Amino acid sequence: MKRSNDFLVGMVVLAVILTLTGATLWVKQTDIGERRSKVVARFRDVGNARVGNAVVIRGVRAGTIEAIELARGGWVHVRMNLDRSMQLPGTPVVLLNESSLFGEWQATITQRSALPHDETVQAQIAESTGGDDVLPGATLPDIAKLTAVAGQIAGDVANVAGRVEVAFDERAARELRSSIRNFSDLSTTLSQTVRDHAGDLDTLSRGLQSAVSSLNRTALSASQLAARVDSSSTSGEIKQIVDDMSHAAAELRRGSAQIRMMSEQLSRTQNRLDSFLTNGDSVLVKLNTGQGSLGLLLNDPSLYRNSDSLLTQLRGLVTEVRTNPKKFVSVRIF
Amino acid sequence: MTNASSVLPEVALQGGRELPLRVLSVLGRSTRHALERIGELARFTVRTVEAVRDVRTWGPSATLQMRLLGVDSMPIGAFIALFTGIVLSLLASYSFTGAVPLYFVGTLVEKTITLELAPVLTGLALAGRVGANIAAELGTMRVTEQIDALETLGYDPHAYLVVPRVLAGMLMFPVVVGAAMLAGVASGWVASVGLLDLSSGDFVKGLRLFFSGFDVRYGLVKASSFGFIVTLIGSVRGLRASGGAQGVGRAATDAVVYSAVMILMLDAFWAITWLLGSQR
Repeated sequence: MKRSNDFLVGMVVLAVILTLTGATLWVKQTDIGERRSKVVARFRDVGNARVGNAVVIRGVRAGTIEAIELARGGWVHVRMNLDRSMQLPGTPVVLLNESSLFGEWQATITQRSALPHDETVQAQIAESTGGDDVLPGATLPDIAKLTAVAGQIAGDVANVAGRVEVAFDERAARELRSSIRNFSDLSTTLSQTVRDHAGDLDTLSRGLQSAVSSLNRTALSASQLAARVDSSSTSGEIKQIVDDMSHAAAELRRGSAQIRMMSEQLSRTQNRLDSFLTNGDSVLVKLNTGQGSLGLLLNDPSLYRNSDSLLTQLRGLVTEVRTNPKKFVSVRIF
Repeated sequence: MTNASSVLPEVALQGGRELPLRVLSVLGRSTRHALERIGELARFTVRTVEAVRDVRTWGPSATLQMRLLGVDSMPIGAFIALFTGIVLSLLASYSFTGAVPLYFVGTLVEKTITLELAPVLTGLALAGRVGANIAAELGTMRVTEQIDALETLGYDPHAYLVVPRVLAGMLMFPVVVGAAMLAGVASGWVASVGLLDLSSGDFVKGLRLFFSGFDVRYGLVKASSFGFIVTLIGSVRGLRASGGAQGVGRAATDAVVYSAVMILMLDAFWAITWLLGSQR
């Protein structure tokens, strides 16, 4: 009985101890027999990384953080054990980062060229490069820091939005509507001007057509004259023909002068139109870029307000002149 | 000769003085009793520790007590842990819905079972089973004068009766709790895979996420302290039993109640002194 008790107790105790130890080692992923390779990286700060956190290569779990220890020169050495079958990438660097929103961290071994384009990370990697048999490492900010930065940005945006709200009040909207109306009037005037010049062009074109018709008529007269010369060369009417020719030449000269004048007029009109279009283009550019009075009027509410205020004052002045002209105009005979 | 008007206020004054005095008396008596019990337990503990040197006396019965207190208690511990693990995994998934990744079920089951539920629930169950058993057994021996007979024969009752039980409790409670830890985590795992939309790999991921050897050490040391206090209180109440069968029953009841209270107090003590200290 006693022996069976001893055996039973011993067996149970041994079984529980062995099972519990085995389970603990399995859960901790303990490296029994040094079957894993060791990698050490150095950091200035390891954030919330802890012993037992996962080591990841290209998204695949490749091992665990075995130890985190302070080292000389203000460094923190993180020793990782990796599966022997795992190949490190070329020019490896180690990033410590959060793997989820719940405080889990992991060490990511990646290529230097695959680092995120972040100045802080690049600076950390550059600073930690050069240790003997130690990989350079950098720590990415945790969620709390990112949240703080996001909160700051949100505050700034809210601040800007508040200022815009203050600047763009009902009055500003009224002024903007007024400015748009003024701009519409301006564009109507421009359109009218273009239409007027189109009428001049029409007139010019019609004059040119008339001149060409006159020229045709002159050419026809010249042709008739040539026929008459041909028929009257034998009937003694040469003198009459010469006179007619002289008359025709004078007509031709006058017609030619008229065409030259019309051509010059056309050229001047074209130049004026070019100049007008150039000026119009310049005005529009200045309007767009906010230069000049009108541009400032459109883009700077203060100028508009000043102008509006000036007009108001002028209206007041005119009203006052009308109601009380003696105040401003004094007529003395003697 | 005194008249009635001069006596009445004196009586009223005495009655007014009696109430505070009575309250103070009750308070003092309670404090004295509490201190006596603490002193009694301390003396008992010292005598038990001194009796550990008498290996020849307690050695032969040690394995028997280990089997009775430990091996025979394993089904209870495993049974409790089995259902605790299942309920924990389901409760965790219910709480985590939509907000926390489901693999944290593994973390919660591991942490809760190893740090708290396996030691405390098993301890409370064994307080009922082992504490009452020891108190009843020793109480019966006391009221039937068997212990007097032992003393007459030159045996130290502490070495012969108490030490093997206390040592068995200290050594076997961690074994029972260790088995309960394994059963609880395993049942939580099976329940997570079978009843929840959680893969085995995810549960293991959560299990490993924040696992530390400290969790197991903490639970086992706590269990050992529970074993010590449950067997010690059972022995104290049993050896102090008097008044026949009624006294034995009272001793068994007291042993269970005091053991349960002491388990909870020790649980808080370890949490404050060790668990909190390990975080700093």
